[in-house]
Amino acid sequence: MYTFAFDLQSYAPIGILIIMALVFGAFNLIATHLLGPTRHGEEKEGTYESGMEPIGSARKRFNIRFYILAMTFLVFDVEIVFLYPWAVTFAKLVPQSPESAMFLGRISFFIGTSIIAYIYAWRKGVFRWD
Amino acid sequence: MIEKLWFLIPEIILFIGVCVVSIMGLSHHRTWRSAVPGATIVFLIAAALATPFLYTPEKMEAAELLMPRVGWYFKVIVGFVSVLLALMCIGLIDRRYEAEVKAGRASFDPMRVNRGEFFIFFLLSVMGVNLICSANDLIWLFLALELVSLPTYVMVAMSRPSRKAQEAAVKYFFLGAMATGVFLYGFALLYGSTGTIVLTEMRDVFAAQVAEEGGVNLLGIVGMIVSLLGVAYKIAAAPMHFYVADVYEGAASAVSAFLAFVPKAAGFLGMILLLGTMGWAGHAGEGSTGLPMPIVTTLWMIAAITMTLGNVGALLQTSVKRMLAYSSVAHSGYMVIGLIAGPGLGINGVLFYLTAYGIMNTAAFAVLAGLERKKAEIETVDDLAGLRFKHPSMAIVMAISAASLLGVPPLLGFMGKLYIFVGGVETGHIPLVIIAGLNSAISAGYYLYLIGLPILSQPSPQAETITTGEARWPRLAGVIGAVLIIVLPVFTNYLYDATERSTEGYLDEQARQIGATDADEPDEPPDPALATRE
Repeated sequence: MYTFAFDLQSYAPIGILIIMALVFGAFNLIATHLLGPTRHGEEKEGTYESGMEPIGSARKRFNIRFYILAMTFLVFDVEIVFLYPWAVTFAKLVPQSPESAMFLGRISFFIGTSIIAYIYAWRKGVFRWD
Repeated sequence: MIEKLWFLIPEIILFIGVCVVSIMGLSHHRTWRSAVPGATIVFLIAAALATPFLYTPEKMEAAELLMPRVGWYFKVIVGFVSVLLALMCIGLIDRRYEAEVKAGRASFDPMRVNRGEFFIFFLLSVMGVNLICSANDLIWLFLALELVSLPTYVMVAMSRPSRKAQEAAVKYFFLGAMATGVFLYGFALLYGSTGTIVLTEMRDVFAAQVAEEGGVNLLGIVGMIVSLLGVAYKIAAAPMHFYVADVYEGAASAVSAFLAFVPKAAGFLGMILLLGTMGWAGHAGEGSTGLPMPIVTTLWMIAAITMTLGNVGALLQTSVKRMLAYSSVAHSGYMVIGLIAGPGLGINGVLFYLTAYGIMNTAAFAVLAGLERKKAEIETVDDLAGLRFKHPSMAIVMAISAASLLGVPPLLGFMGKLYIFVGGVETGHIPLVIIAGLNSAISAGYYLYLIGLPILSQPSPQAETITTGEARWPRLAGVIGAVLIIVLPVFTNYLYDATERSTEGYLDEQARQIGATDADEPDEPPDPALATRE
């Protein structure tokens, strides 16, 4: 005897998010169509592929700076991924208990290491684009 | 968790070193940049010196580790041998570029300096070995072993601006990745067999399996063998030794010395921890050591094949670096005998031998790192001929380290071999020790050559053009190594006691396990307080 008691309200945020995504997409498409200037041409109508030529060999040389910057980005990307579960757990801890201090200390150490990595990348000249 | 962090303080010191060195290496001032190796050495020594103060008996009792005390010995030894290795690396990286900057021909460009990075990797690799000491689960062990290896791949590529070094690095990286895959499969099987990744729990599960089923289950045995084969890559043992000669030859001599010691120490420690989950004593195997028979057989074959291949391979070489590379393989074979022999003389012998091997091998490579011809490294045997006439101190260092590697009695290498061979004989592996003895005799073929060539023979025309390298530090490392080879045998007792103390908790656990598996008589109360009250 199972009763499928669906609590629809708990799904409301997801529903709102889906509606927002649809509205945002539709709005952008329609608004650019109505408001934007219209020009035509071969370049303009070609497929957009992150600034690369969409047709031709894929084995092209990329500037090394893209890779270095992407790697630096990864450092912070991964850091944020770790911060989410940490933040969720931290909120549940007893405030000002030794355990929460330990938690804070650990994440501070972790962020500290990323800052060192950032300083290193900056000194190395990763962000210079000349 | 706080208790665990306490033991990680040496690693934290090394990590602070990594941060400091990374920023120093990119300084605009040349003096700061040239202080990078010095800073590395300061942090290595600080971490090694902090260790004895951190590993207090109470803390070690409280630590729930398979080998709670091993870090007490290991972190100190690895720290100090790494100091010698760091000395050898001075003047290795960026030499030409720094000279240009000094002469004003080039301006400082942070993208072109690599010295800081090299020493970061150096410190990270040493940190990995230290981390293994506190490993109590497979994930930690895996991450620590990788932390040892990953920096070394880059170090090989950075060490020399030549295609050979690049090739060596690529080979080392791909084969290393394969080996990592192999031991990861092994770890997965071990987890499947025991249902836990914590080493101490795994030991209890294996003990229970033996008590209930009369042996470790097949999955566990296969998992252990596969894990050991994967880790064999780190120690350069038989089925995984094939990369050694090419990689050591391609890398600069200083980095070859690093590869011969740091990953090897990590691999042996990892193997000791892994084997410790099964335990040598108290299991009903047919072998005298108590490890399950298939594992003993595997290790037996690894030891015999490794020694023989290493020594025969070394006999055929004309390049000193390749010769020392094969000798590194052979020495791993000797040390595996210690693993088979188990706690007591065997494991203590392995720990002792690692120290001895680290020092004598570093001294031998330091001779190659300290000399050069036309700004290039010396490599072939002919280069060493008659070294005595132009560079007497280096000739003597080479002779002493080769004699020690051979195991000539009063020197450090002899002491190491003695403990391991006696351990092998005591546990009844006499055929293996005989094979090892024969191998020692074979190894005399090339070690005697390395002893005699610099001292006795006349200089070859090639050897005439050899000059000392710009930096005197590699030669200093060689001399320190040679002095240690001669002096340390006097203090063998202390060193051996240290290895004994570092495996103490481990032995107790083995004994406890025998008590648990026999389970015939109830143990006497282990609490001394109870005994005295009565």
